[in-house]
Amino acid sequence: MMVGFFVASESFFFLMLILAYVNFHGSQVDGPTAVNSLNPIVTGIFSLFLLASSFTIWLAGKSLKNKNHRMLKFWLLVTILFGAIFIFGQGIEWAGLIEKNITISRNVFGTTFFSLTGFHGFHVCVGLIMLSILLGLALFGDFKGPKSDAVECVSIYWHFVDGVWIVVFSVIYLWAFL
Amino acid sequence: MSSRFPLVPENAESLPTLNESEGMLSWVASIDHKQIGIMYLICTAVFFFIGGIEALLMRVQLAQPENHFLSPEVYNQMFTMHGTTMIFLVAMPFLIGAGVYLVPLMIGARDMAFPRLNALSFWLFLFGGILVYYSFLTQSGASDVGWFAYSPLSEKPFSLNKGPTYWALGLLAAGIGSIASGLNNIITIFTLRTPGMTLRRVPLFVWMILVTSFLIIIAMPIIGSAFAMMLIDRLLGAAFFTPAHGGSAILWQHFFWGFGHPEVYILVLPAFGIISEVIPVFSRKPIYGYAFVAGSTVAIGLLSFGVWAHHMFAVGLGNVANAFFALVSMLIAVPTGIKIFNWVATMWGGKIHFATPMLFATAFIIEFVIGGLTGVAIASAPLDWTVTDSYFIVAHFHYTIFGGTVFAIFAGIYYWFPKITGRMMSETLGKWHFWLTIVGFNMTFFIQHFLGVMGMPRRTYTYHDLPYWGSMNLLSTIGAFILAISVIVFILNVIVSLRKGNVAGDNPWNAWTLEWATSSPPPVHNFDLVPPVRGRRPLWDLAHPDMPDEPNAKIV
Amino acid sequence: MENLGGLFNPSSPQLETMAGLTYYMIGVAVIILAIIVIAVTIIIIRFRKKPGDDVEPYQEFGSLKLEVVWTIIPLGIVAVLFLLTCNTMRAVSPPAGDKEADLVVIGHQWWWELRYPKYGIITANEVHLPVGKNLLVRLESIDVIHDFWVPELARKMDLVPGHPNYMWLIASEPGVYLGACAEFCGDQHANMRIRIIAQEEDEFNEWVKQQQVIPSTPTSGQAAEGAQLFQDMACMNCHTIFGTPAAARVGPNLTHLSDRQTIGAGVLTNTPENLTKWLTNPQKYKPGAYMPNMKLSNSEVKSIVAYLEALK
Repeated sequence: MMVGFFVASESFFFLMLILAYVNFHGSQVDGPTAVNSLNPIVTGIFSLFLLASSFTIWLAGKSLKNKNHRMLKFWLLVTILFGAIFIFGQGIEWAGLIEKNITISRNVFGTTFFSLTGFHGFHVCVGLIMLSILLGLALFGDFKGPKSDAVECVSIYWHFVDGVWIVVFSVIYLWAFL
Repeated sequence: MSSRFPLVPENAESLPTLNESEGMLSWVASIDHKQIGIMYLICTAVFFFIGGIEALLMRVQLAQPENHFLSPEVYNQMFTMHGTTMIFLVAMPFLIGAGVYLVPLMIGARDMAFPRLNALSFWLFLFGGILVYYSFLTQSGASDVGWFAYSPLSEKPFSLNKGPTYWALGLLAAGIGSIASGLNNIITIFTLRTPGMTLRRVPLFVWMILVTSFLIIIAMPIIGSAFAMMLIDRLLGAAFFTPAHGGSAILWQHFFWGFGHPEVYILVLPAFGIISEVIPVFSRKPIYGYAFVAGSTVAIGLLSFGVWAHHMFAVGLGNVANAFFALVSMLIAVPTGIKIFNWVATMWGGKIHFATPMLFATAFIIEFVIGGLTGVAIASAPLDWTVTDSYFIVAHFHYTIFGGTVFAIFAGIYYWFPKITGRMMSETLGKWHFWLTIVGFNMTFFIQHFLGVMGMPRRTYTYHDLPYWGSMNLLSTIGAFILAISVIVFILNVIVSLRKGNVAGDNPWNAWTLEWATSSPPPVHNFDLVPPVRGRRPLWDLAHPDMPDEPNAKIV
Repeated sequence: MENLGGLFNPSSPQLETMAGLTYYMIGVAVIILAIIVIAVTIIIIRFRKKPGDDVEPYQEFGSLKLEVVWTIIPLGIVAVLFLLTCNTMRAVSPPAGDKEADLVVIGHQWWWELRYPKYGIITANEVHLPVGKNLLVRLESIDVIHDFWVPELARKMDLVPGHPNYMWLIASEPGVYLGACAEFCGDQHANMRIRIIAQEEDEFNEWVKQQQVIPSTPTSGQAAEGAQLFQDMACMNCHTIFGTPAAARVGPNLTHLSDRQTIGAGVLTNTPENLTKWLTNPQKYKPGAYMPNMKLSNSEVKSIVAYLEALK
């Protein structure tokens, strides 16, 4: 329940950033905007990894329920991997933009884009840390199953992070190009 | 309800707390909700004192027209920090602290659902507040852009000093603590109620804390997000709120007041809860219309998210927007009024014992109604157009926050001091405190209604010598000093009572909720035995088995 | 009893309407407050516990009927107040439509730039109005948010950078009306005062004509020295004087400064003595204002004052 309410609370944090982005979308007459700076295809591919990681953490949960300790560790690892690939993709996207002098202080697009994706990425990183802790503890023999509050809580948080990304991706990438 | 949510299992071993005899360390390391609650109360008292000094300094500057007691730079820091301190570092944490102390006792639990998180919340509050105040030690001083930090004044290039940055960071930290408290309260209230205590039977203070906690977990992320954006603007040169850079000054106001308005309900709902506990006990009657008081609280909570732009009637949002927000702002007065009527109805027909808690609770009703009525007036956009940003508004919110929240806080302190410390407060000093407060408070703020209507803008370090402005301001300043004396009397009362107050016993007020069913102060584990709960007033039912509140209650 | 000003002295149809609504709402508020105060007073007298009486009173839990009554009645009051609100809003602040503004007010930290586009006039801090004419005012800001507030004449309206606003301004009677900036805008927010001078039509037209005159630069005496100093001493980096190369907008337009009643946006009355004091050290009278202490010598100050007074 706690994580559920926490996630609801954090949603409002993201809502404000999304509203800021939406508010300024289209107000740029010249300079970098979503349409002329972003590559939805590449980002979309990296997003698929994040989406897949939601599936793999669900599989990890199932393994725990079935007391399959080996598969639990495996799926946790894959989840972390996929999440890391997503962050890596964000990283090269950011690096590319900054190279073209599209920065957070360049204009409102830069400001809202980097803030929104930045805070999301930060939340993903926190999630990766928590997943790594789970994996570490699992490697030391914890989480024999069938239930674990810790695994359940981290899963909910991870699904939340994924859900936020679906919204963010739609608002930034899909909406601009539709 | 308690069967739907999993009961958090009671710890087999007692929670790790150090013996009280180990002094300061036991307090610093404590995760016991009572100790944490007391720490909240003490720290907010210190901040109240500081915020009060800031107010007195302002009033001295304003006592005469064209005064030179404070420079404009210092004055602007004073009013910024006074507002920030009183709202974020006094009222909010006091009420959260009161909840932290009382809620587990009132629901018959041993501690909060997450005791360590509880401690974290307190320390985040304290260190956030210290970070905000640290700014006074920097070369450019504290934040001086108002507690509402409107952009672009709060952004580059208009605000180049570091004050607002410290301010935003400190409040972000404290805000995270508040969110944690809100979550903790919700889980505690939903899962740790003693068997028999359904949500329809919890004390109204608990209801208020519950609704407030929902407001906190929604409103605080909003301001957290806004502070983050403001810091990104200030430190990274971004463009959220800077019109010169493509940003929007009005967006900041929407975000700030989207938080700010629920915030004032966060400040007042727990106060309503305190009043809802004090009035019935001292009237010797149950609260009139419990369901309506609880239900109207939920209504206020929901409506509070729909009124924010009544702070922006002069910004030029357009008459359609103005009309919408005017309507909802006026509507929110109705559930508030319902509460007032129920409190008066509780007192009617009772046998009232006017001890100090009841004095403050009764005065609360009148002072808060004054504040609430001026609130309905300014909810009307065209009326607001004549008085917004003037001393009329200052008068309005001091009547609701001081006459409302602070009076309720005093009532609560006099009421629960015996439970927390085991000693009664002095009635004589209490009455002196009360009457000095009434005189001082009304003298300070009532006249400000007129100053506002006559044209005195707020947040100004001085004013011209227009007819009566000087004498009215002087009267207000004198009132402020009387208030200061009343606070000194109160502090005296606390100190004297701690050392020499009469021993309180378990239930000195003959009250009926669970916190009075244990010793004063309660043992570490709160209850040796929790009385059976078959109604809203378990101790009444125990004392009057022939007249229980709910004659048809199922025995759990 | 002197004129208390503000809402107690409504001097325009708009203010009369808003004052009317205010008195109405205060009336309703007083009635409601009276009901509560009377109830509480009766309670204090009649239901006080007598010493020694420990019998508990009748335990009443509530009444659905009463709750409904005291929900419906306030809802009714709110409905009426809301209708009054909408009517007043429409009367006081009708939309500007496509009309061109008669007066453009541009907020600066901490003075008001005033432009009359239809007359080609630019001045500062002191607004002149023809009595009885409803002027459309456009409000803009060049830096932070300000608020135009003349409590006896009109509603308040913010000057928001990046978001021009419109309001209507009309005075019913000739006279001087004082106002102030009403949105905290920095160190000298308190000294950003407005002065509105409402005049009969012919006097107003006189004023317009005077303002439209481009004064010639004095060629002899101290005033001429002052004119030269004005160009040399960096004054022209911030100020405009029509008919000279000085054309900057950081500070107020000084072309017809001598006609105004105050200087420094209301900080001092406009006399040669005060102007001398101001030029000697503006920071003494408006600390934090963007006009630095130019550290002029006494004779330099005298010359510049003579120059500014000579511009007619």
